[in-house]
Amino acid sequence: MLKFKRDKLVTIVEKENTLAAHGVLDDDIYSLELDVVFSMSDLEILSIKGRWHRWTTPECPRSDQFLQEAVGFKVRDADFSRKVHKIISRKACRHYANLLLECGHSANEAMQVIQYRAALAENPELSFEAFLNDTPAPVTAKTEITPINDIAPDTDSTEKADSAAKPANADTGHDPSEDFFIDLHVHTSPASPCSSAPVDDLIKEARRIGLNGICLTDHNHVWQADEVEELRRKHNFLVLRGNEITTEQGDMLVFGLEKDIKGIINLEDLYKEVRKADAFMIMAHPFRGFLIFGAGQVGLTPKKAMERPLFKLVDGIEIMNGKVTEKENNFAAQVASGLGLPVTGGSDAHEVEEVGKYATCFPGVIRDEKDLLAALKAGTYSPVAFKKRNR
Amino acid sequence: MPDLITFSRNRSVSVDQVDPKTMRSSCRLQDSLIDAFVEMTVGLPDLEITNVSCKVRRTHLKQCRDQEDCLQKVIGTRVGPGMLKIIQGLLGEATDCRQLIFMVEECCHGIILSFTKDMLALAPQGKELAVEDCKKMVVDNIRLYNRCAAFAPGSSIVEGIEPP
Repeated sequence: MLKFKRDKLVTIVEKENTLAAHGVLDDDIYSLELDVVFSMSDLEILSIKGRWHRWTTPECPRSDQFLQEAVGFKVRDADFSRKVHKIISRKACRHYANLLLECGHSANEAMQVIQYRAALAENPELSFEAFLNDTPAPVTAKTEITPINDIAPDTDSTEKADSAAKPANADTGHDPSEDFFIDLHVHTSPASPCSSAPVDDLIKEARRIGLNGICLTDHNHVWQADEVEELRRKHNFLVLRGNEITTEQGDMLVFGLEKDIKGIINLEDLYKEVRKADAFMIMAHPFRGFLIFGAGQVGLTPKKAMERPLFKLVDGIEIMNGKVTEKENNFAAQVASGLGLPVTGGSDAHEVEEVGKYATCFPGVIRDEKDLLAALKAGTYSPVAFKKRNR
Repeated sequence: MPDLITFSRNRSVSVDQVDPKTMRSSCRLQDSLIDAFVEMTVGLPDLEITNVSCKVRRTHLKQCRDQEDCLQKVIGTRVGPGMLKIIQGLLGEATDCRQLIFMVEECCHGIILSFTKDMLALAPQGKELAVEDCKKMVVDNIRLYNRCAAFAPGSSIVEGIEPP
């Protein structure tokens, strides 16, 4: 039996140097409409108006007012999709955003039809196919796509690793008998486009709340050892390097891997790289979003989840992640416990004030990346709700 | 001249439950330039894409022809948060036909929305969710906070809820 259906209809009409788009989204849950006017010269949004017919929460109609923030967006700008997702989806509603993208893409295609008609007037023999395929495609709202498995050469990795292993503040001044807390999962701006936390501010905040160190795990970004060294000196604080790498099975936190891996990598290929480099790989937020509908709804149990082949390829599991629900973290903890894998905690901070929500507690001092790697492999650490505990 | 349509697009996504462990989602796109169909199956409980196929019935774009095998790279990808980055990354190199990539994304959204519908079906028929129900939803899943206008500061739903 049909469980769900969504229909979308977009029509474009040319009107006095503008394109008028009318979009309708109608599905089992929502029903909404958009009227958007684009300039024909550069497909800039000149006006936008939305209407709800069916919605779910009493506050859904609030989104109408925020649609106006799309005025001025240009469909052919390379970041059109990103802006619609970031601004309209976040501030207004993701269903409006979905329909707006549909209207924008349709306006762009409509311009091709219009341009073909003009070309046809000059060359009546010109076929539409020849026109499309021989004319350079306009730069449009194409999704920003990164290549797969684009592994850059491993330049100077040994040298960098060695220099990274010698922090300016090798003597941390920390009592070795005390626990040592490191937030193993933080994102900084601009290294991670999704973060708005400048690295200096993040370090200052980490220090202020009493963490002993942080590990920079920007998305598919390898920090240079000398940059991190400079940060350590500047702040007299332990700053380490990691990397959050996206695989087709989800995000992996990798420590001790110098290779700059761009785009999406196959998990098995990443596993080989990690083994080759004698690095350490932790599955980040393994059940993020799994339990939104309720585990029972999809029939997920910790026992069934433990059977996922990916868990054979990771060295540890992040069971305290600041961006997932308590239920999802608890579920991850049950799976890790069943599998006997080491467990870590990290805030996954994307904003300065988020750092340290969760951290990993090590039994001794960590001075550098070598120490961190050795400690991770030893497996004698535990995740902690750092901020709560230190309140 | 009357206001004749310059361009028209119709996109339809449908999701059905094949058996207790399998869902199927399909997307049909028909517009002035292309007529294409994408279908995928998703295994439960992992919500992993187990099969995907496509057929382009009409197109004037050479990058959208002979693309029957190009979507296979998404097999194994989990439907859920973060999936768009993975799908776009995996398929960006496999095909230049961005319509097909978007159709895969739409199939995945359909799967998620089918679960949302199941959840909403628990509320009384014909009524929007009560503010208190929505509040609970945000408290249970704090990621929803500030996710859209309904869950942003200023909305009655998040009144009294501490930002994450």
